[in-house]
Amino acid sequence: MPRIAGVDIPDRKAIRYALRYVHGIGPKFADDILAEVGIEPSTKASDLTDQQVSQINSIIDGGFIVEGALRRQVGQNIQRMRDIRCYRGERHRRGLPVRGQRTRCNARTRKGRKKTVAGKKGVKG
Amino acid sequence: MARSLKKGPFVDESLYLKVERQNQQNKRTPMKTWARRCTIVPEFVGHTFQVHNGRTFLEVFVTEDMVGHKLGEFSATRMFRGHTNKKEGVKSK
Repeated sequence: MPRIAGVDIPDRKAIRYALRYVHGIGPKFADDILAEVGIEPSTKASDLTDQQVSQINSIIDGGFIVEGALRRQVGQNIQRMRDIRCYRGERHRRGLPVRGQRTRCNARTRKGRKKTVAGKKGVKG
Repeated sequence: MARSLKKGPFVDESLYLKVERQNQQNKRTPMKTWARRCTIVPEFVGHTFQVHNGRTFLEVFVTEDMVGHKLGEFSATRMFRGHTNKKEGVKSK
């Protein structure tokens, strides 16, 4: 099993898809990296030579932010917005959608499971 | 959608001149402004603005981290005081 960018051990899939198991590498970066090393994208991950694996690793090390470093960066960006008290930061604090979506209904991903309010639907106040 | 780079950041002309004048005189008095759409540029750092939110002017002290945001992002236009409490029939909090 090849190890790429730390702990990730994708196997039994074409390297083109296996690379995407690394947090921060999607379809585009996967293809970019393979083109740079010159590996056929459809090669099975388990069929890679040690040399190819280390080549991929060195490319990711120089020029891609992945895994922990990427998560940290995203977290810092959000923390910065919270600290300066801008609108987007406030939305993050309150756990509401940040990009202007409606909240009258839906928005359940951000708001979590429904919190039913007793007697809200009744006609009499 | 992000703004075209070709145009550069939008900065309210008169507000910018006002800041420049204060910078030359080394003054730091709060400035009332309605220009919520104005991008915060590095020259604004350390100044205080009173940004209109549709009703009143909210004090915004500009720090270095705020550069690149708009003034309006720091002056909330809506106030949420919590949902009504059914028994009391009044706003809680």
